[in-house]
Amino acid sequence: MKINVKVNGKKYERDVRENMTLLRFIREEIGLTGTKEGCGVGECGACTVILNGKTVNSCIVLAVEADGAVIETIEGEAKNGKMSKLQNSFHEHHAVQCGFCTPGMVLSAKTLLKENPKPSEHEIKEALEGNFCRCTGYQQIIEAIQDASGQMKK
Amino acid sequence: MLKEFSYLAPKNKTQLLKLLAEHTGKPGVGKTAKILAGGTDILVNIRNGFDKTDLLIDIKKIGEYSKLDFNKTKGLLIGANVTYIQLINNKNVKKHYPVLIETAGKVGSPQLRNRGTIIGNICTASPAADMSRSLLCLGAEVNIVSIKGSRSMKLKDFFKGVKKTALKAGEIVESITIPIDMADAKYGDEKLKRIKGHDLAQAAVSIVKKDKVLRVAISSCAIVPVLLKDFKSNVSSATVCKEALKSISPIDDIRASKDYRIHMVKTYIKRIMDKI
Repeated sequence: MKINVKVNGKKYERDVRENMTLLRFIREEIGLTGTKEGCGVGECGACTVILNGKTVNSCIVLAVEADGAVIETIEGEAKNGKMSKLQNSFHEHHAVQCGFCTPGMVLSAKTLLKENPKPSEHEIKEALEGNFCRCTGYQQIIEAIQDASGQMKK
Repeated sequence: MLKEFSYLAPKNKTQLLKLLAEHTGKPGVGKTAKILAGGTDILVNIRNGFDKTDLLIDIKKIGEYSKLDFNKTKGLLIGANVTYIQLINNKNVKKHYPVLIETAGKVGSPQLRNRGTIIGNICTASPAADMSRSLLCLGAEVNIVSIKGSRSMKLKDFFKGVKKTALKAGEIVESITIPIDMADAKYGDEKLKRIKGHDLAQAAVSIVKKDKVLRVAISSCAIVPVLLKDFKSNVSSATVCKEALKSISPIDDIRASKDYRIHMVKTYIKRIMDKI
């Protein structure tokens, strides 16, 4: 089936199989490998992308369902080779260890800050409920988001 | 990699009902079709090899199924495409049926709430379905349609067993109606789980109270979510607990023991009734 999508501002038209997930489409058809597969069943959030403004687990969305959609992936964060404020904050706060969960974490955080520019610690934790970090680095991630939202005393 | 299947996305109800009639899964009658709305259950089941569906019918292009309408005499209508997040963000739901928001907020994670649908939660018919408790308390009716016509039934009659519903081949739940009589009720909801997000409830209780009626629903404690008979609003929590224990049949499993579930149901009933 032929689908049209816009990924990080660029239009793509591809012929895809019905059983291809959006995750595989992004990685294998578009070649953007920042989006990761963790559990593959919608629990860990490593495959999080922003689909029409909302975060989704791309491992449990079909590519054909995304026909006509606007998609943002982690590759859309940096502009002209410069990291976004949020990415910088993750970097500065050591919110990255192995890095596998980071693309999803950043996109969940980005969506949170768009809807709620000054989230409380509790709201940050709730927003990251669907993103697992197995290096146990949550504290640094929370601090990175607090800093990016201008809420950290220095 | 997901198994192979076909995919169709009808643009209106007429096309949909025709497709459902053509693909009932009976031997020699088309393919085994299932509805695809949010996909947060069915695509997981396909990936895990539990679901052998060979045709997915995506209903998201059917505009009228996205309705989420409140009417002061008829109550609330929730269409088949309404997601948890749409329900949570709806002003009328917030004002008149906050218990729905309370239970919708307890489903999965933001990613799942952005995608999953209320009616999908009901049609998956897990004994732990979070939406079942609030919807049962509010007296929800399920509106079913097929090419042959339409019918409605109380949600409590819709659940037939673990992941079994009253739906017949060729039918779809197109909406849920919530009558006005329980609008603006006092409410409470408690769910026992190991972690917030990504965990099935081990036991959960919703209670709503309005005028002279108090209504209690319990999930994860029987093969279907359980609605107790209506109580008078001045009933004691001891009476409600006694009635609850007669109606539930919790099991011992990897998540919790039967005794623990019973203990928590009683605790939650008392806790909520003290509050409302």
